[in-house]
Amino acid sequence: MRRYLIKRAGISLITMLGIVIVVFFIVRVLPGDAAAVRAGPYATAEKIAQLRAKYGLDRPLWEQFVDYLVGVVRGDFGTSVRTDQPVLGELLARLPASLELAVYAVVVATVVGVPLGIVAAARQGTWIDGVARVFAILGSSMALFWLGLLMIYFFFFRLGWFPGPVDRLAVGTKPPPMVTGFYTIDGALAGQWDIVWMALRFLALPVLTLGFVLAAPILKMVRSSVIETLASDYVRTARAMGVSPRAVLFIDGFRNALLPVTTTIGIVFGYMLGGNIIVEYLFSWPGVGRYAYEAIQTNDLEALQGFVIMVGILYVLLNVVIDLGYALIDPRIRLGRKVTA
Amino acid sequence: MTVGVAGDPHPLLREVAFDVEAGEIVGLVGESGSGKTMTSLALMGLLPAGIEFRGGSVRLEGRDLTDDLSCGRTPREITMIFQHPRGALNPTMRVGKQVARVLRINQGLSAAEAKERSVELLSRVGIPGADRVARAYPHQLSGGMCQRVMIAMALGCRPKVLIADEPTTALDVTIQAQIFDLIRGLVAETSCGVLFITHDLAAVAEMCDRVVVLYGGQVMEQAPTVDLFEDPRHPYTRYLLESVEREVDPRAEEKDVDFGLPGCRFAHRCAEAFDRCVDFPPGVEVGDGHVSACFRHLEENSVAS
Amino acid sequence: MSRTVPLDLPSPVAPGQSVIGRAVGELRRRPLMAVGVVLLTAYLLLALVGPMVTVDPLRTDPTNQLLAPSAEHPFGTDEFGRDVFARAVAAARLDLWIGLVIAVVSMVVGSVIGVVAGYWGGRVDEVIMRLTDVLLAFPGFVLALILVAAMGDSIPNVIVAVSVSFLPHFIRLTRAEALQQREMEYVDGARLSGNPPWRVAFRHVMPNSLRPAAVQATLVAGWAILTVAGLAFLGVGIRPPTPEWGVMVAEGANDVITGEWWTALFPGGMIVLAVMAFHFVGDELGGGEV
Repeated sequence: MRRYLIKRAGISLITMLGIVIVVFFIVRVLPGDAAAVRAGPYATAEKIAQLRAKYGLDRPLWEQFVDYLVGVVRGDFGTSVRTDQPVLGELLARLPASLELAVYAVVVATVVGVPLGIVAAARQGTWIDGVARVFAILGSSMALFWLGLLMIYFFFFRLGWFPGPVDRLAVGTKPPPMVTGFYTIDGALAGQWDIVWMALRFLALPVLTLGFVLAAPILKMVRSSVIETLASDYVRTARAMGVSPRAVLFIDGFRNALLPVTTTIGIVFGYMLGGNIIVEYLFSWPGVGRYAYEAIQTNDLEALQGFVIMVGILYVLLNVVIDLGYALIDPRIRLGRKVTA
Repeated sequence: MTVGVAGDPHPLLREVAFDVEAGEIVGLVGESGSGKTMTSLALMGLLPAGIEFRGGSVRLEGRDLTDDLSCGRTPREITMIFQHPRGALNPTMRVGKQVARVLRINQGLSAAEAKERSVELLSRVGIPGADRVARAYPHQLSGGMCQRVMIAMALGCRPKVLIADEPTTALDVTIQAQIFDLIRGLVAETSCGVLFITHDLAAVAEMCDRVVVLYGGQVMEQAPTVDLFEDPRHPYTRYLLESVEREVDPRAEEKDVDFGLPGCRFAHRCAEAFDRCVDFPPGVEVGDGHVSACFRHLEENSVAS
Repeated sequence: MSRTVPLDLPSPVAPGQSVIGRAVGELRRRPLMAVGVVLLTAYLLLALVGPMVTVDPLRTDPTNQLLAPSAEHPFGTDEFGRDVFARAVAAARLDLWIGLVIAVVSMVVGSVIGVVAGYWGGRVDEVIMRLTDVLLAFPGFVLALILVAAMGDSIPNVIVAVSVSFLPHFIRLTRAEALQQREMEYVDGARLSGNPPWRVAFRHVMPNSLRPAAVQATLVAGWAILTVAGLAFLGVGIRPPTPEWGVMVAEGANDVITGEWWTALFPGGMIVLAVMAFHFVGDELGGGEV
């Protein structure tokens, strides 16, 4: 177990270093004058030169890289061209909004995807399976921005069930005292139930939009994983020993099928960290995705670069957590080999 | 018993018929693909999806199990142990718990009783330090140990018939002998019948009272073990025994069996095949409890009379 | 288990049946694939023939702004009075073309890299796989986004960027396949008969490793369209007034909140339907998940 952890940590560190290198060189080396892009399309030559000096773009590339890398390790992701603030600070301030959205969306996707996948696997080939399959294809073919617009059109404009795409709370509402940054939790902690309710109503449409799309890969994975498990030798043994099909499905089938599913849910969550640029833009959600959108609109490459590196690093860290979870569920990893006999 | 793929007119198993008496070990031998495993799965009501009973019946002490089996209900009195014992145990459940679960289901014990009894059972199948092993996961045990665990689970079902599907092919030779001893001892003790599936003729000679020879989903010959080895009557059985003497692995010469043929499925490989072999051969009693399914016997008889 | 009896005996094919007859029979057994094939054919026809019969997708008309769908303007008109149907049809040509080019480019490049990694192994493989890990640490959309942001907006840049974002999947697929093929006897044969390594790798191993990648490419064509349109929706890569589905949805997004749903919902629906068509086919061919 310990050797496994050390090896895992080593690979993660290498990948994170790779992330910084790749992103840095994408931004600096690819055709396109870094300073000119930053200055925007209407900048004068003088303004470009000024920016080049300010960001050290006139120095040798490797020097710039070492500086940047040292900065990242120290928690300095550069300074935003647009706001003149440290990028990391701005990102961290917006992260809770994104995470709250991501967590609820993944929960919705899991709650829909897992049972549907199990039913589809247990009733393989029936009409329920067919419905699940079409649902999965629809989900993985869906354009987030289009689904979001549909949601807004029907549930806000037509039916008026949910608030419009403006923010996390109605205009002029004071957010609850900051503890976790999740308005639903902070509101509950402060006993402000009206805020919790309002936050949930504002979350509803973006969460449903994302949840619909994210349910598809989970559903597919659960289905194939359960089918595979049910066809395994040990399920056959359990059946031969008189265990009922239902017990086999839920005890032997599910626990073992859960292993690959945790990975999928993790990947889905990781995908969320960047996939929500579109949804956050559409719903004016003040998270990191919206920040990235604003950075694109103002050619703020420094901020965009910081966002992408953060997404990559979070994803790697998330994978470490998933692997640990995996190890906890699966005794084959948790305990080494051969203890007895 | 006839079993086939739904929608396919050609059966995978055709009129496979045999008896297993209490306390008797019956060998079911044949090459890979001869239908040994399919036969056992049919007896367990565990046929894969898309494969169905076509006809015939399965009876246990006079009770007809056919309907239950064809609906996929596993009979309590029949249980089965598999090859690849490690893969046949749930990798994320402690082995003691797997045994205990069988006890709770089949003997109606409480959780505490089942736990206690499971350790007893594990030591009864010759596992040293059974209380420690009960807490292990399958991947921590050797293949032989896993097979013993599986036998303990099977015992927990108190079966009248135990099907052993190549229980030792994945194990070392020395372990193999131990497992054989264990199975023989249990038969003597519980007087359950055993259907012993294998392609290893040496194992058959050592273990079995009677032998059923299967090829291409048809029974070729069945006889008491001694008779079969000393006086094989069916051309296929003779071929099988010779190939062992010549130390040829019969599987090396294996050809795909054509399940579309209506007649004897061995005919296209048989040196003695003749025009009648395009029909389905009837079983001919050629000795005491010795039946061989070949038209040659009818020819011989008619010539003799 | 001893090798089980061949359960999936091939279904008997009536002799004398033509290739087309067999294809029709196959599609009848797989309704989803049939739907996919029909949809894709319709899209291709629309992309090839459509622009010749519709009005000019760029012509503005200040007197006919934001008209609801009618016989004259089946998808209505947008805020500049342009015909939404004409724009959506013109966009079909652009989007399908871009999607297919991206699928082919990322498949070919990814497969070559994958075969190199799988066939040569060792250090080369190690480096390639670490790089792939790095690329996979970003959601494909984010990777494509920063690539276009750094290179600047243009259609070729979008194609390069999105292709790169799909590379890792093809590298992994082909590598796994090449690892298996490498152990096959025909590879030893090719090697022993004096072929140089690159020839064995690309003439013998690669063609036999392409199957899963080719199936995956069907799905990637759909996802590529989705990515390109998503980028355009954010104002990256392809910009207005180019008739492109993502651009059109972005332009129409604000109309939705005021009730003029047609400017955004029609082109968006065409995206989803096109991606689904690729999916129906790819899924039935046995395409995996990513």
